[in-house]
Amino acid sequence: MSEASPMIETQVTSATASAHGGSAPPRLSGGLPLLGHLLELRRAPIELFWRVRNECGEIGEMNWAGNRVVLLTGEAAQEAFFRAEEEQLDQAAAYPFMTPVFGRGVVFDGTPEQRRQAMRNQSLRDKMMRTHAETIAAETRRIMERLGESGEIDLLDFFSELTLYTSSACLIGKEFREELTPEYFRVFYELEKGTDAIAYVNPNLPLPVFRKRDRARARLVELLTEVFERRARREGGTRELFDVLLAIRNPDGTPRYTIDQVTGMFISMMFAGHHTTSGTAAWTLIELLRNPGAIEKVRAEVDAIYADGREVSYQALREIPELEAGIKESLRLHPPLIILMRKVAYDFHYDGYTVPAGKLVAVSPAVSNRMPECFPDPDRFDPSRYAEGREEDRHHAMAWIPFGAGRHRCVGAAFAMMQLKAIFSDLLLRYEFELSQPPESYRNDHSKMVVQLRQPCRARYRRRVA
Amino acid sequence: MRIAVDLDLCQGHGVCCSEAPALFELDRDKVRVLDDSPPADQHAAARLAAKYCPTLAIKIQEEN
Repeated sequence: MSEASPMIETQVTSATASAHGGSAPPRLSGGLPLLGHLLELRRAPIELFWRVRNECGEIGEMNWAGNRVVLLTGEAAQEAFFRAEEEQLDQAAAYPFMTPVFGRGVVFDGTPEQRRQAMRNQSLRDKMMRTHAETIAAETRRIMERLGESGEIDLLDFFSELTLYTSSACLIGKEFREELTPEYFRVFYELEKGTDAIAYVNPNLPLPVFRKRDRARARLVELLTEVFERRARREGGTRELFDVLLAIRNPDGTPRYTIDQVTGMFISMMFAGHHTTSGTAAWTLIELLRNPGAIEKVRAEVDAIYADGREVSYQALREIPELEAGIKESLRLHPPLIILMRKVAYDFHYDGYTVPAGKLVAVSPAVSNRMPECFPDPDRFDPSRYAEGREEDRHHAMAWIPFGAGRHRCVGAAFAMMQLKAIFSDLLLRYEFELSQPPESYRNDHSKMVVQLRQPCRARYRRRVA
Repeated sequence: MRIAVDLDLCQGHGVCCSEAPALFELDRDKVRVLDDSPPADQHAAARLAAKYCPTLAIKIQEEN
């Protein structure tokens, strides 16, 4: 589907663009023959997106190895993007680097209507949140038992492992979660590292990065095959999501879904909520620790709220304003997704410009979240932006976009916020943390489309005295 | 007080139905407003529904 000769397709459609009235968006300068701005994208993507805004204004076109990507920036242009009908701007075809990760026929095969209905599987609905909060609190306590009195953790490894357990227990099932071992989060890490933008040339080039990705995926299929064969043989136990799917038969008696497909579903369910939440947890701790007074404020708030012995699972669903502001500010400065893309299904118009069908349009949370006209002193970590009266996230709902906005706003946003509040309530009540490295040494690795903290990213901890 | 829901933004999370069950109901995958000019004793619940809506789809217009 998506990777079917994009180069030819875009050339044909751009030749007919002038027939549709609006003018073509300005093109970004520079770029190599054939590869265009692809190497710049792999080297320093956020700088590239800012260059589009500074050079071309609120609409400008990049060239990623023949794929024309029109970047929209600024509140008005981003609102046009977020409000567009799904039938016009299609998510499915915009992310060719994900196809080999998920596997064929898994995630984006549904129609927009089917995807709208995904919410009906209920697991993200408000009614389920109380149960999820209990599960997350239990998982956090479980991982804390391993911490002991004092020591050091790698923030990427620690939060990757924890969020793998919390997400799988909440979204798939508690028995399934018990099957997971640290090997799973390492395999996920390899998959995430396999999202090199060189996939815009071809996601199956014979490169080490893609070979590792494919090996990781094959290993995951192997691991899950063992799990499901064991589960199929056992007596008793609960039938969870995947057991049900694997038991479905075609009319001729053959299984409806293969383990390979179920593995793809597992990857896709985990992908949206794993590296995103885990990265945000790590950045929240880093920012709270490297900004003077920030962690003290949150700790005092948490201590006061839980002084009456109330349950974390209860409070995580309610207000913890200082902690929430710290999480939001980390999300603003370090959005887990730095670019959101759609493929234009029929001509998209904005302010006298036309983007013809076949091209990609995009917005960049990394740029948007730091636009000084919406967020004064944008590079500063300032949790008071979210205080009553300022509420910059609400006043600029089309610019404060770590979760996207509009029709496609992340359906897991409320779940993610609750999860982060639950995790930090327990961690900060019981432990003190400090950074092990110089504060500026904590950086994201932007060489892949999936953003990851660069290792080492270590922190020391000590149990608080009661 | 007037309640308006932007159905473009509603994703059917159902937070409003928990906060203000007398005013909101989930109709398949979108919300339905049961009473868009609620009585005074429902105003606090309506404000909470708007505040906690995960997609900021609920707008409340207070009357003077």
